[in-house]
Amino acid sequence: MKTRSIEVIVPPPAPHYVGDGFRVHNFIPNGYHLDRHRMTPFIMMDYNSKFVFPPSEQPKGVGVHPHRGFETVTLAYKGKVAHHDSAGNSGVIGEGDVQWMTAASGILHKEYHEEEFSKTGGAFQMVQLWVNLPAKDKMSKPKYQGLTHAEIKTFQLPDNSGTIEVIAGQYQDVKGAASTFTPVHLQNAKLNKGGKADFNFPSHYNTALLVIEGSLKVNDTEVAETDHFVLFENDGEAFTIEALENAVVLVLSGEPINEPIAAQGPFVMNTRQEIVQAIDDYNQGKFGYLD
Amino acid sequence: MEQYKHFLQEKAALTPEEIESLTSSLQSKTFRKGEFLLHAGEVCAYAFFVEKGLLRSFTIDETGKEHIIQFGPENWFVTDRSSAYFSEPSDFSIEAIEDTTVVLIDAAFISRASAAYPHFMRFNEKALQNHIRQLQKRINLLLSATAEKRYLDFIRLYPDLTLRVPQWMIASYLGITPESLSRVRKELAKNNFKPH
Repeated sequence: MKTRSIEVIVPPPAPHYVGDGFRVHNFIPNGYHLDRHRMTPFIMMDYNSKFVFPPSEQPKGVGVHPHRGFETVTLAYKGKVAHHDSAGNSGVIGEGDVQWMTAASGILHKEYHEEEFSKTGGAFQMVQLWVNLPAKDKMSKPKYQGLTHAEIKTFQLPDNSGTIEVIAGQYQDVKGAASTFTPVHLQNAKLNKGGKADFNFPSHYNTALLVIEGSLKVNDTEVAETDHFVLFENDGEAFTIEALENAVVLVLSGEPINEPIAAQGPFVMNTRQEIVQAIDDYNQGKFGYLD
Repeated sequence: MEQYKHFLQEKAALTPEEIESLTSSLQSKTFRKGEFLLHAGEVCAYAFFVEKGLLRSFTIDETGKEHIIQFGPENWFVTDRSSAYFSEPSDFSIEAIEDTTVVLIDAAFISRASAAYPHFMRFNEKALQNHIRQLQKRINLLLSATAEKRYLDFIRLYPDLTLRVPQWMIASYLGITPESLSRVRKELAKNNFKPH
């Protein structure tokens, strides 16, 4: 097994607001020209690094907007987000929870700070990923997978190194509960200081880390600080991380979807024509209605 | 400037050499979201050709309510034509509602281009006629059309703006309340939404 080398470690790009409730660093596709093809199937990654929101009577967030053609995966590390959609679903994503929403043929939703959290304010830290769908599944039925922290299966690392929470894919013999359309590994490594973990994914899978807490040594060589993004080359399978202090790391690796990408705003399809269709369908109310 | 050059080539049938000779004196400028390109009361010196981003022109009435006259996404012109032509103070303000890059087109450019190239003059006249056609249509819609008809016309004219501007701005442009706009969209969804 060959070691997967580090292509680059990058600090968080300047933040911007999504709505008024998400102060995010965009790593994919804008931050470092990690375009949608480079990190496919991960076609967007916004990271709300830990940020303290003051109390607000009016919950902050993002108003009603559509999606079509991919999945949104929201991981809450601090704070709580409430969501509602045009299919009548609603819920709260709390600390440690993951919401895996398959927008597919189309959904309208809105995401706000949960009411009580909004009133008290506090530390807020989230990741939102967009995972592309292959052309054949883009117009499939929308669905949700809400994984509470308690439902996420964990692998205990030896030597009190820590745990790997497997959201999707597999770590050793532990399989993630989230079902995916193409092979995707999404895991939170929670390491104690000095703890080590080895990972092993097929070399052609696009693979990266986001350091949520603490700092790491990767492959015994380079150090990745908090909020930094580690992009790996596709030149090997195996890599190692070691926590220099207690650390939380999001590990993502997925089989590329090598199909054309046409993207505009909240729609990611294969052709320009499909984008025009998506806009028209949205305008005509074919995504439903949400207040 | 590339977008404007492409526009001239496509719409005014100018050759790349003609375009270079005309546009070398033109300036482009970038405005941040929320910046004003024109304040009501000033004379509008330019037509703004939008290369990237989104403008709106609007007025504010005595009660402080805003009324949107026009949106200007990519490849649109936004200006106050009367203010520019007659050098009179404008009733409109023009604001960038996204980070926006525009080409500044003044009267001297139009005169020079028209004098140099008859096909530019024909293009400019056609653009003016088209502008009047749109204004007539808009007056008629505002006076006589239902909220639904106004909205359907809006999404034909500006398909992707429903994704780029808040509802209240669309309502303001259509001359209806945000509640009426919600009702129209709800009604459309009721008729057109077919769950999987």
